[in-house]
Amino acid sequence: MGEGLSIKQFVTEVKKGNISVLEHTEKILSEAEQSNSQYHYFNLIAREAALKQAGEVEASIKTGRNKGMLPGVPLSVKDCICVQGIESRAGSKILSGYEPLFDATVIERARAEGAIIIGKTSQDEFGFGTFNTNVGIGFEIPKNPHDIKRCCGGSSGGSAGFTALTKLTHASIGESTGGSIACPASFCGVVGLTPTYGRVSRYGLIDYANSLDKIGSMGKTVEDAALLLEVIAGYDSNDSTSLKQEKDDFSKIEPSKLKIGIVKELFENCDAPVKKECMNAIKKLGAKTQEISLPLNAKYGIAAYYIISTSEASTNLARYCGMRYGLHEKLEGNFNEYFSKVRSNGFNKEAKRRILLGTFARMAGFRDAYYLRAMKARTRLIREFKEAFSKVDVLANPTMPIVAPTFEAIEKLTPLQQYAMDLCTVPANLAGMPHISVPVAMQGKAPVGLMLTADHLQEKKMIQAALAVESACK
Amino acid sequence: MEKNGIVIGLECHIQLNTDSKLFCGCRTQAEEPNSSCCPICLGHPGSKPVLNAKALNYALQVALALNCEVNKEFFFSRKTYFYPDMSKDFQITQYEIPVGVKGHVALSNGKRIGITRVHLEEDPAALVHEAGLGASNFSLVDYNRSGIPLVEVVTEPDLSSPQEARDFLDQLTTILSYLKVYSPSSGTLKADCNVSVYGNARVEVKNVTGKRGVEKALEFEVARQKNLLLNEREVVRETRSFDEKSMTTKATRGKETEEDYGYIFEPDLTAIRLSTAEIKKMKQRLPELHAAKSKRFMQEFNLDEYTANVLARNFTLGLLFEEIAKQVEPMIAAKFLTRELMAVVNRSGLDLNALDLSADEIASLLSLLLDRRVTEKAAKEAIIAYLTKGEKPTQFIERQGLAMDLQERDIEKAVEKVLAENKKAVADLKTGNKKSLNFLVGQVMHLTKAKAEPRLVQKIIAEKIKG
Ligand SMILES: [Zn+2]
Repeated sequence: MGEGLSIKQFVTEVKKGNISVLEHTEKILSEAEQSNSQYHYFNLIAREAALKQAGEVEASIKTGRNKGMLPGVPLSVKDCICVQGIESRAGSKILSGYEPLFDATVIERARAEGAIIIGKTSQDEFGFGTFNTNVGIGFEIPKNPHDIKRCCGGSSGGSAGFTALTKLTHASIGESTGGSIACPASFCGVVGLTPTYGRVSRYGLIDYANSLDKIGSMGKTVEDAALLLEVIAGYDSNDSTSLKQEKDDFSKIEPSKLKIGIVKELFENCDAPVKKECMNAIKKLGAKTQEISLPLNAKYGIAAYYIISTSEASTNLARYCGMRYGLHEKLEGNFNEYFSKVRSNGFNKEAKRRILLGTFARMAGFRDAYYLRAMKARTRLIREFKEAFSKVDVLANPTMPIVAPTFEAIEKLTPLQQYAMDLCTVPANLAGMPHISVPVAMQGKAPVGLMLTADHLQEKKMIQAALAVESACK
Repeated sequence: MEKNGIVIGLECHIQLNTDSKLFCGCRTQAEEPNSSCCPICLGHPGSKPVLNAKALNYALQVALALNCEVNKEFFFSRKTYFYPDMSKDFQITQYEIPVGVKGHVALSNGKRIGITRVHLEEDPAALVHEAGLGASNFSLVDYNRSGIPLVEVVTEPDLSSPQEARDFLDQLTTILSYLKVYSPSSGTLKADCNVSVYGNARVEVKNVTGKRGVEKALEFEVARQKNLLLNEREVVRETRSFDEKSMTTKATRGKETEEDYGYIFEPDLTAIRLSTAEIKKMKQRLPELHAAKSKRFMQEFNLDEYTANVLARNFTLGLLFEEIAKQVEPMIAAKFLTRELMAVVNRSGLDLNALDLSADEIASLLSLLLDRRVTEKAAKEAIIAYLTKGEKPTQFIERQGLAMDLQERDIEKAVEKVLAENKKAVADLKTGNKKSLNFLVGQVMHLTKAKAEPRLVQKIIAEKIKG
């Protein structure tokens, strides 16, 4: 029942009464539970709450009251997004026991359309990673659904992994700071859509780097991802950086061949097979193309990104000190000693590294050279993008320079080499440009994703192009 | 160097009297500890701040009233440090570009004090030490205060005595009260006081509460530093705290170096942009402030400087005066308000703003007094009853039967005439000479053609002499 259906098809069947929401929810919860011991996609499976919600949706369908866009559609949610009453830890031990008093705006909107929240997905601790291997203390690392020796990519690894694994209708709400939706989508072979910064409210998002964080959608198809974006997007007065935009019908967009810019530097630095598959996909599309050069983004993107993101992250993480929520320790010593104990025990290695890096970058004496300079660089890099969009509609590049690496290979990488893997995803994220990763081919057991980037608020163009790529690569 | 060699600069933090907090909808006034807080002011993960437009408007008014240049674009910053009263372990404040810069305020003697900057920020929570600081091995935290809007006003080091610092704070709080952005009864004022003497090291006395506290802390600190120098000892650059009980300052343990707050732009809030026209409009809408009003009172009503200042210092009093002055002789109104009315206010510790007094009522009472239909004593009683019990003066006079009939007024006039013409007898009477009383009564009887009742004449003379 319900296998292989798109969200739109599923919703039609549900409304006709051909699919029982309760049964479908039960089925996907069981799959999540059963697969978790091997794949570890979920930090928490919200069985009870999901079934309660499913019961309510089912009842409203039977009485014909349900007018929602997503009745009964199971959604998994990245752990860093607050769900009321459901432990939300952002993948960190330090948030053990934190049950938000409120739903994130995206959750509220999804629920209002009848979606069922089935659980919180695995991520790198606070989003600090590219392979979802930097999980918090006591958390499991998710395994790639195509090959368990490989990683899922991060940081929204659990969301991508489960979306790829399940045959049931399902989508996921992810979050990207520097590529955390596109990367795992590419490694797991699903669609990962990151909107323009400010398009989707961040209210209820446990922050990594507020000026970069974007909540987005992940689905099996471009249409699924676009539909979920349509539900969660829109102005929210609770988020001061939310953009005042008319609601768009992202789910009704038709494929279109637009002028594609091929980003020279981002192709150059990729593994040859990845480069080849991505070029093939663009060829199959048969669209007009033009080579675009983004030298500044390629040269300074990663440096600026890591300085800004760690600076902001180190302030965001200051509040985790064992006083009001999350991890507590035995009260001993003065407050400084107590805070240090909680933080020493609660954060894993990469979180500590980024706190140190970020604190350093904003310290008096270094602030001008690092933090402020990176902020200025960001403005320049955005300008470079804007110039490119005066020539083409969307930009294309491989989402990741490699296919999903094995855990063995990852262990050999230094932190700096790991950061360098974000080369292709970081520029669009730093500039706040909407981008989407679409699976275009398999490299053996590992999927390859093509990333399409559009100008600010040009999600429509991005989705048009993505639909065209998707159908060309079927 | 100032002439006495004392250099003082203040960083004042004043709570603005908005209804809700700076970044959330929680009420600023609450009795029960931790009864006015929410995920935002508690810093819960996932919550986000939204700027209170009223608080921003208040801060802009303060900057303009302090003659600052208002920035056309400014933003908030994060000041990060760990402390148990901080809900996020960073404070949302302003750093690079505050609301306003380069202002000035005049002290009561006319001396101009430079204002370095005016900015808006959030108050941390309050730490409660149930058994007193030091005595208890734990602290409680009350988050009702967390997120209350504060305006920070930083002065140039232009103040040259603790008294000038006090005067500055008086001027500042008067301006804030005039703008109706500050309630002296419920809003707290705290200041970090920087002080150095004879060009020696600068000492910062942190977090002193109240205007009197600032004056006392500075007095102690100046004396302490002068003493050190007299004994040929060095003043060390340090941060000290002020103990209100002993009225002394002491060195705070630990950090001697400047703290590094690692400021970054607050990424959850957007920059605020204002046009020149908007700023100009706001400036035009500012009310007349007390210095200007005092000058106007002197010119318009021919008042002396002291009286004009007292009237203008309190916004409500000034307003009351102007209304009453339309109906009765301004000089009389001014004297009555500054002496009789304010005496009752100060003695009974009343808040004039909360009393909601009617200018018409007070004017009616003053008219009765001027027509000699009530005695000064009766008028005083009536104003006490009005201020403390809310009974209207005219009602009070009637209920108590204090209105004199026509005859009484004539007698009173006669008494005044006789007393004025017989200074010697009056002086004698004051020393207890009974014969003088009889003499004076006789004179009044003569003047009123024996129509007055002698016992009443005696009573009025006694009242007048007592004053
Ligand atoms: Zn609140």
